[in-house]
Amino acid sequence: MFFLSRQTVRRHRSLYAGSFVALAVGVFLLGLAATATAATIAYDAPPGSSIPVSLPGYDGEPARTVDVPLSGEDASGLQVVLSMVGVISGFITIFVIASTFAFAVAARRREIGLLRLIGATPGQIRRMVLGEALVVAFAASATGTVLAQLATPLLLAKASYTELAPVKLEPASPWLPLAIAMGAGMVVAMLGARSAARRAGKVGAVDALREAALEPPRIGPVRIGFGVLFLAGGIVLLSLIRPSSGEAAAPLAMFTPMLLVIALTLLAPLVVPWIGRLWAIPLVAWTRVSGRLARSNVVAAPRRSASLAAPILGISAIAGSMVLSLSFVADAAAATIRDSVLAPIVVTAPAEESASPAAGSGRPDRELRERILQTPGVAAVDGSIPLRLIRTDSDSAELEDAEGIDLTVAPKARRMTAVEGDLSKLAGKTVAIGKEMAGFEQYEVGDEIPVTYTDRSTDRLKIVAILADAFGVNASLIIPEDLARAHAPNAQPAQWFVLPADGVSPDSVVAGLDQNLAGSGADAVPAAVWEAAQDEGVRQGNQLGLILLLGPAALYSAIAIVNTLLMGSLQRGHEFVTSRLLGATPAQIRRMVLWESTLVGVVALSLGTAITVTVGILIRHAMTDGLADVAVTVPWGPLLGIAGTCLVLAVGAALAPTAVILRHSHPSAAAAE
Amino acid sequence: MTTTAPIHPNVHVGEPPALLLDGITKTYRSKAGAVDALRGVTYHFHRGSFTAVMGPSGSGKSTLLQCAAGLDKPTTGTVLLGGTGLHGLSEVALTKLRREQMGFVFQAYNLLPSLTVYDNVALPLRLTGKRPRRDEVHQVLDQVGLGGMARRRPAELSGGQQQRVAIARALITRPAVFFADEPTGALDSTASRQILSLLREATDRAGQTVVMVTHDPVAAAYAERVLFLSDGLVAGSLDRGTPQQIAAAMSDLER
Ligand SMILES: Nc1ncnc2c1ncn2[C@@H]1O[C@H](COP(=O)(O)OP(=O)(O)OP(=O)(O)O)[C@@H](O)[C@H]1O
Ligand SMILES: [Mg+2]
Repeated sequence: MFFLSRQTVRRHRSLYAGSFVALAVGVFLLGLAATATAATIAYDAPPGSSIPVSLPGYDGEPARTVDVPLSGEDASGLQVVLSMVGVISGFITIFVIASTFAFAVAARRREIGLLRLIGATPGQIRRMVLGEALVVAFAASATGTVLAQLATPLLLAKASYTELAPVKLEPASPWLPLAIAMGAGMVVAMLGARSAARRAGKVGAVDALREAALEPPRIGPVRIGFGVLFLAGGIVLLSLIRPSSGEAAAPLAMFTPMLLVIALTLLAPLVVPWIGRLWAIPLVAWTRVSGRLARSNVVAAPRRSASLAAPILGISAIAGSMVLSLSFVADAAAATIRDSVLAPIVVTAPAEESASPAAGSGRPDRELRERILQTPGVAAVDGSIPLRLIRTDSDSAELEDAEGIDLTVAPKARRMTAVEGDLSKLAGKTVAIGKEMAGFEQYEVGDEIPVTYTDRSTDRLKIVAILADAFGVNASLIIPEDLARAHAPNAQPAQWFVLPADGVSPDSVVAGLDQNLAGSGADAVPAAVWEAAQDEGVRQGNQLGLILLLGPAALYSAIAIVNTLLMGSLQRGHEFVTSRLLGATPAQIRRMVLWESTLVGVVALSLGTAITVTVGILIRHAMTDGLADVAVTVPWGPLLGIAGTCLVLAVGAALAPTAVILRHSHPSAAAAE
Repeated sequence: MTTTAPIHPNVHVGEPPALLLDGITKTYRSKAGAVDALRGVTYHFHRGSFTAVMGPSGSGKSTLLQCAAGLDKPTTGTVLLGGTGLHGLSEVALTKLRREQMGFVFQAYNLLPSLTVYDNVALPLRLTGKRPRRDEVHQVLDQVGLGGMARRRPAELSGGQQQRVAIARALITRPAVFFADEPTGALDSTASRQILSLLREATDRAGQTVVMVTHDPVAAAYAERVLFLSDGLVAGSLDRGTPQQIAAAMSDLER
């Protein structure tokens, strides 16, 4: 059957060109992620940049020593992003390949029937389709792998010295990662082709004889079963997005749409006709004949419409959910910051000119503090000492942000509400921790946390209070100022929260500070301005993450959308030419295709929107628990951009080949084919 | 009228028939309701016979052919091909029987567009797992008069030439029974004549059995017997009729 596979791939080049491009891009992304990950693994931290921490061990586990890298001087951030890029690329690849192969089979029903008629067994047909997949998969995976290898140095050069990997990355040996990417590409393609092959095996010889190669109207019980299963899984994940899920909410917002997308794709042949009918109501009322034709084409071929809708549904749901969720998370973060800053004025520290702490004359921060305090109208200033320390568990060691506070000022300048314990006992070897960490690690007031400072000395800190979380304003570990100063003698506050004296207007203090601080590089602003800047920073960080995560997926989905709609129109050359024979004008056919692809696109987008809105609402509910007056920032631009791009791609990709077919085919060609 | 009695019109003793239909009924069920396409057809096709099946549109001719060839399962009744019952056969066994014992030619869509004429003809052998011999393939192509066209693709052939490729493909496995559904339906009279002569030759020279559905009395006259179907039942038959006699019998039937 391999002989036949080779021939049919050649013949159906247009049908497989899409699968080829899609898979090649998928393998390219996987390959890049793999080689870059290899480079991050191969990266050796320079000596002295990590601290050995001994863990006591528990439950019979022996004590051991781990090296904890300091201040993110490694590529672990990049690794996380790369693995997420890998997951998303892999997911979309399977998804796209499965739908393009299913499409290729559906489009060739009659040809397969003919093969069955002249004696091909169902097994031979299955092997033929798998063989075709193999030919395409091999060519595509090889291409993708070579491209990935070529692009790796470029990516590493771009990724080095960034926030995600503040080090220089060198390409590692490419053989293993590329072999993994190539293998993954082949496996993914074969998995995607398997269901298509199974369906092809079910085509009967009699299908060669039936005039209209109408697909079977019903989908199998297995597919429905899996669809319902994935739907149930998605609903379970949705129900997990609760105020109590804390940090897990963000990953949930990423994986839940994936499950829902799979579920809806499996069930799409049942769902799409209904929504299609609904959206077609205005269309039919508005157009004369083309809208009606478009509706019947979409509704009567639910499987085909479903495969066309799949990539649009996929990217709109996943990208939409992430964009909306992250925006809502940022809203909640902004509200937390707003509620947590009590001081009306914030002075931001001068940008660090040099990383070496020894530089500079004496203690610039002390000098700054004096200058702030000497400004007329300033009553007190809260400038905490930031430091990092390693928090040790029985079996893990975590680098944490901490700060040393002046107990007389900080609680007035920032909200430090103790939900348990008493913050005023913060003195000596003690610590106050955030509620979320306490919940995660099951710490209680009175417990002792073993810590290692960056100067390599160790300590046990007694928990005196558990504070309401105030991410972005308070560090997760709060210790007495002296303790912090002792272990981080050169640390400088990143900002000062300034409390004006009674009756003094903050504006006049800001003006005074501006004068007094001139030339120091520090900048005094009203708290609201500082809060807005923090929010802006969060959103910019999100944007970078979104571009990294969704960029490849979006590129990939765009290819998939173009691919399926292009195939869809190319396969219908015969139908178009017959319609021409029956007297339809080219303009009528173009209008029909226009409405049809629009209808499919709108149906897919409405499903994607439903997923996005559900996930967004749940995330918002989870994130705003306990906060009042949280702004609602819906990123309309990106969301409408996603929807618009999907529609334009879909309609364009359906119309372009139609125009070509109509131009190049004489009506008389219909009889000859 | 020259038709004979409809019940068991041709039961011979002795030589077993190439194809035997016994009490075949076929009911299509769909949302719109049930259609009785065949309502009890019993008939024996003798080895080496050329039978034309005629009848008004919708009388069940195509359905009969599909049931006889095992492409579709009859609702009740049995089909025996060379003594083998088609009912209890698995899809794979049925497929193997089909590729070894049956050949097909239909009105259109007979060839794989991706393959050359040569590869189309050789395909049934390849599906069997045999390596087709070049001379064997070229010999059947010569036989249907397409000697020089082995390298062309179907799209580069006329309709009549395409039908001849389909016949060559059916001939190459030397099937016991040929099934043809309106093989000349889309051809002019010259091209039709070539196709019909090839089918005629298959019965005369190689003793193969041909069952051909047609609307054309001239085509039907190539067969030694015409079987008339009406409303899913055998309405009679006519032996060695001229086109005029066949046409007259048809118009009787359609009245
Ligand atoms: N797949 C099907 N589903 C439902 N009904 C069918 C199906 N195929 C055929 N029929 C019905 O069965 C009857 C017989 O159809 P069949 O195709 O055998 O007729 P025919 O004699 O070949 O007609 P024609 O000369 O027009 O080809 C018709 O009434 C037809 O509508
Ligand atoms: Mg028919």
